[in-house]
Amino acid sequence: MSLPLISLMIVIPLIGAIIAFLSKTRNQARYAAIIASIIPLFITVKMYFQLDPSKMWVVESYDWIPVAGIKYAVGVDGISMPLILLANIVIPLTILFAFGETKQTSKFYGLLLLEQVGVIGVFSSLDFFMFYIFWEVTLIPMYFLISIWGGPRKDYAAIKFFIYTHVASLVMLLAIFSLYFTALAKTGVSSFDMAYLIGMYSGFDPAIKDIIFFALLFGFLVKMPAVPFHTWLPDAHVEAPTAGSVVLAALLLKMGGYGLFRVMLPMLPHTTNTSMVITVVAIIAVVSIVYGAFLALAQKDLKKMVAYSSISHMGYVTLGFVSLVPLSVTGAMYQQFSHGLITCILFMSCGVIQHGAHTRIINDLGGLVHKMPKLTFLMLGGFLASLGLPGMSGFVAEFTVLAGSITTLYVYVLIAVFGGIAVTAAYHLWAIQKAMFGVFNEKLGDVHDMAKYEMVSMAILLLLVIYFGIQPGLVWDVMKSGANMVLAGVNI
Amino acid sequence: MNYSHVIPELIVVLVGLILVFFGLFLPLRVKKGLGCISALALIASIVYILKSGVLLTSERAGVYFYEAYAIDSLSQFFKLVFLTVSLIVVIASIKRYEDNKYQDEYYGLLLFATFGMMIVASSNDLVTLFIGFELASMSTYILAGFDKTNPKSLEAAMKYYIIGSISSAIMLFGLSLLYGVTGTTNIEGISAYVAANGIADATGIAILVFLIAGFAFKMALVPFHMWAPDTYEGAPTVISAMLAAGSKKMGFVAAFKVFIVALIALRLDLQSVFFILAIITMTYGNVVAISQKSIKRMLAYSSVAQAGYIAMAFVIMTPLAMGAGMLYILSHAFMKSGAFMAAGAVTHMLWTKNKNVENADYLKNFAGLSKRAPYTAFAMLIFVFALAGIPPTAGFVSKFFLFSSAIQAGYIALVVVAILNSALSLYYYARLVKYMYVLPPAGETLKEPRAYLLAMLIAVIAIFAIGIYPAPFLGWAMNAAATIGM
Repeated sequence: MSLPLISLMIVIPLIGAIIAFLSKTRNQARYAAIIASIIPLFITVKMYFQLDPSKMWVVESYDWIPVAGIKYAVGVDGISMPLILLANIVIPLTILFAFGETKQTSKFYGLLLLEQVGVIGVFSSLDFFMFYIFWEVTLIPMYFLISIWGGPRKDYAAIKFFIYTHVASLVMLLAIFSLYFTALAKTGVSSFDMAYLIGMYSGFDPAIKDIIFFALLFGFLVKMPAVPFHTWLPDAHVEAPTAGSVVLAALLLKMGGYGLFRVMLPMLPHTTNTSMVITVVAIIAVVSIVYGAFLALAQKDLKKMVAYSSISHMGYVTLGFVSLVPLSVTGAMYQQFSHGLITCILFMSCGVIQHGAHTRIINDLGGLVHKMPKLTFLMLGGFLASLGLPGMSGFVAEFTVLAGSITTLYVYVLIAVFGGIAVTAAYHLWAIQKAMFGVFNEKLGDVHDMAKYEMVSMAILLLLVIYFGIQPGLVWDVMKSGANMVLAGVNI
Repeated sequence: MNYSHVIPELIVVLVGLILVFFGLFLPLRVKKGLGCISALALIASIVYILKSGVLLTSERAGVYFYEAYAIDSLSQFFKLVFLTVSLIVVIASIKRYEDNKYQDEYYGLLLFATFGMMIVASSNDLVTLFIGFELASMSTYILAGFDKTNPKSLEAAMKYYIIGSISSAIMLFGLSLLYGVTGTTNIEGISAYVAANGIADATGIAILVFLIAGFAFKMALVPFHMWAPDTYEGAPTVISAMLAAGSKKMGFVAAFKVFIVALIALRLDLQSVFFILAIITMTYGNVVAISQKSIKRMLAYSSVAQAGYIAMAFVIMTPLAMGAGMLYILSHAFMKSGAFMAAGAVTHMLWTKNKNVENADYLKNFAGLSKRAPYTAFAMLIFVFALAGIPPTAGFVSKFFLFSSAIQAGYIALVVVAILNSALSLYYYARLVKYMYVLPPAGETLKEPRAYLLAMLIAVIAIFAIGIYPAPFLGWAMNAAATIGM
């Protein structure tokens, strides 16, 4: 008899969230939050070493709405397990980082735990109905995180984030309906099972195939986000509180990438005109990489720069996904994991600077290293990882994506390399040099360094980034089996 | 003959008569108990319907009074909707009218209105249907104007009464045409006659026009909705809940009976009319709701929009669509009555603090409600997210099945409009949430009335029950759809 481990991972943060919401004092809320968020990490680690990543480990499956063939089914494999690990690393560290929050603490920590519930649910669902529910559930806590704890334009940012991504989800929902009913009409079996419906896709009528594919793709690309569907992201990030930005960039964006690997990749070879689809997606990917980098270069606000850098980095995920080579697909998955860790450091740095110096405008900063040596050290680590310094996880991911893709998509890779990488290095170095080094800007007044819990949280993240840069195997091998498993059904 | 299936109706009407009669003699301090008696009567009826098991089959359980009155899962499903809405309304009214010396009449009228709706749900004959319709309408006309000293309430009742009477006349004319053509008032008889002999085009269209006008008045479909915002805003909030969540569904059940059972031969005309009505209704309702300052008016327009979604069932006309439409009706009953209860609780709290508050239901009074009245604010949050169709609530499940049925039947344009509307509606729902949870409080902490809280709790529990485990509710709805030949 084995415990329902994945359900526990979903239920424990949910209980933690309820305790946090009901707690009267700040201490009660934050300790409940940290405990409830860290237990799933232990469960993940335990599962991680039992996992056979080359096949789906269905942990639980029960009938939920039998009339419509809807099941409660959760499981993990090589594609989802590393992302669940990521979620369970990021949320506790975010809560630790935000240990100093003073405004409406019970709600704040409760909402962060609800995000954990939603994200783990998305990554472990095996049924489209569940998948969609958890997908939507992640929106609401984020809406509140932005609209209660956000910056000056929070109203606009929160509602834009909410409605924009909700519309994308609804388009995805329509595609799920079409999948379901087309399969139902063909076989008479009503089932929302993801693997089953994706498997049925190849036999569909060509007239509906492309509509379904692009509707799903739209849902996922908005979440990633890819240019030209990225406009909600900078607003949401700039206005969100640090913890909200971290969760948004490190986890919610990854849901879009996860959808690409889980849903789109097995379908891609069966579209009516696969080479056209590959071209479209590759162009979107490369434009995201290059245009995102240039947008980042033009930003005055440090946090906005980091937000645009996310768009650029997520472009590698799309590029690796569409090249359909095991190396690049694994690299793209690795990029999701690695970016999830690195972006936390970047957003946390922005948060610390905002808190200490009361501004994030790069030109108004300067010489912060004299007042914030600890932050500068950790931030420099994060920035170097983000620009792809060898020895850190970002390099492994981007290198393998490019090295794998060059066999099938060499034109796009060349554009990405020459248009993106130099600019990426430029904006990172330029920003950190202007903001942190040089002469201290006396107008900033009394600037203090980061709090201890913030430092611990960021230091752990930086250590992980370095560890996974030197020794990617622990996650890489699992992802590789997952990628091989998906690609086994893909013959181009 | 076994009359056990009509026991719920008997309970409701007898308790109503007893309340009115003994209300003549009782002193005010004892009258407070009358609300509790009504609530118990409603609970007894609900329990009876659930226990009878009619909902679990699609077979007809019984026909009474010379085939004028039928008990099947459709009728019991709708009775459940009406009874639960009345229960929620009665519970909140115990607080709302605790010092009113006419409360015996109030509860009596509420029960008579419920009784009328139950008759419509079970009617198998046009005359029975019309009588039930009028009984419910007459009772709610009075209830809408029950706050006699409030001019807004009187205006609401007047508008409702005048437009309602005209609509009834139009509907009656349509029913009489139908009788003239077919020679019978029995719904199944009409169905059989039309199937055998057909119906002339011109007559058929005339009948449809009159009947749609009559029923759409109750359903508040655009352009027959004009009364709804004014009446919902002016009427006592508990009664607005009754109108939006209960009496509106009476229009739907009548339409199910007459259009789907009796006039299914005219389905092509019906589909094209409802296609336009549904699209106009949901779009107009949502667009106008955005600009409302009064929460009650906003909920009124949102209720118009929701009726537009439900009307999609008449366009799609597949078993799944009918089942989903009924599930939506059940969910909407809880979401909307709950939302009106929350709005009513806020106005009640403000009024108990200060009798002369003007526009107590305006959005600005909801600012910082999460700190002033945390339970009410949380319940309202659930209601509006459910109305917007956010999982895991009843609103999401209903929309999920309804929209999926549209995809199944190939109504892509309709479902795209519906989905865009659903996203649009998120704007004004989220704005209310922002007022409650983000903005600073508009005043000091309020004392939340327990009766209202209990009413909202029932709605919240039902919304999550349907949202998280919809299987049994969907089963009932599918059975109900099966009884009307779907």
